[in-house]
Amino acid sequence: MKTVSSLLNDDWNERYRRISRLNIRSSIYDVTDHCNLRCKGCFFFSSNEHKAAKEETDIKKWKAFIEREIERGVNLAILIGGEPTLCMDRVEAFYRRLPTFCATNGLIKVPRERLPHMMVGISIWGDEKTEKTLRGKDTFALSSKNYEGDPHAYYLYTITPKQIGKTEPVIKKIRDVGLKVHMQLLSNDEKVDGFSWRPEELKDIRMEMDDMLDKYQDTVISSRYYHEIITTGKMLGRSFGWAECPSVTEPLDNREPRPRRLINFIRWASDLKIMHRCCTSETRDCTTCKDGAAHMSWVMVNKRMHMNSARDLQNWIEVCEMFAKLYQFIPW
Amino acid sequence: MPDEIILRIAHMMIDELKLEDVTAETFDPDIDLIDEVGIDSMDLATIALIIRDEYGIRIDEDDYPKLTTIRLLAGYIEEKLKTAQENN
Repeated sequence: MKTVSSLLNDDWNERYRRISRLNIRSSIYDVTDHCNLRCKGCFFFSSNEHKAAKEETDIKKWKAFIEREIERGVNLAILIGGEPTLCMDRVEAFYRRLPTFCATNGLIKVPRERLPHMMVGISIWGDEKTEKTLRGKDTFALSSKNYEGDPHAYYLYTITPKQIGKTEPVIKKIRDVGLKVHMQLLSNDEKVDGFSWRPEELKDIRMEMDDMLDKYQDTVISSRYYHEIITTGKMLGRSFGWAECPSVTEPLDNREPRPRRLINFIRWASDLKIMHRCCTSETRDCTTCKDGAAHMSWVMVNKRMHMNSARDLQNWIEVCEMFAKLYQFIPW
Repeated sequence: MPDEIILRIAHMMIDELKLEDVTAETFDPDIDLIDEVGIDSMDLATIALIIRDEYGIRIDEDDYPKLTTIRLLAGYIEEKLKTAQENN
């Protein structure tokens, strides 16, 4: 039987032990149905999820709900939306009780006097031109002012096919405002012309992502293996898709055979009653889904599959470390 | 009794988790399941379900972190069985 210590040297073994005991139990919460942007390709609006539920506005009900989530074993709240910062009281209610990550477009500054250590992931979809095309404005101009030098914030760079050959200036400008960046790929949910990935483009962007990681090691939070997985949709001979995705809401998961999955994971609608199918939109074609967190989780829940060689297990460790950094379970 | 349980748990692990190059007889009952075998909480949850079905014992998820070897798991089962017997 292959064991961890037979595969890893002392340094890697130490990293393995640190990461394998984290036992993260995340769930995702739609904080509101509203947003101050309407981005083309935003899964929330393109799939009409903003109409799926009438959002709960009573903060007492939110607080009671959060207590129930803690009872359920959740130890990481991932807040999405709509735009969560439009409802700061709800965000704060999570932050007071749980390790909390807030996804935002960065146009509203989180008040650090109230939420000093909450991890904030600021979305960016490319250079000025792409941002204007897809989001209606260059959000970086404002978000970078709001979060410059913030040690508990990073940019979540959703790369589009139009960004091939253009990622470096984006990463540089993020570095120059003293922030980190994590990269994922656009899933073109609204079929905007020219924004769907072609195989050769995925090959090109993988090389570019690797290059950015090598060149900007202090800025880019990523791993080569993650780049491989997200661009190929393959992991050790298996293909990502509905049958494999780990980020399906557990009470709605009736897949057979049951794949390895996130334990207790639920994505809640903002009425605190309805559950969405998965971490992204129900209308998305799972075979072309490029959701970064789902791909990371896919690797993470399949640890023993990565115990065939030292390199495979090191890849697994690196992806777990990346995830743990992005959600502040270990330092940058 | 504990040796029987140890052997049974080893069988469960090998069968359910599809562990290769090991038999129930050669499975070291003191090897750390997380640090060495690479078992995670989902694996433990799977094993816990089989233990529940076979022994009628529920393993609390809060207890997972301390059940790091087959011997410790067997001891946990034995203890729970004893308590159940005393209560009957």
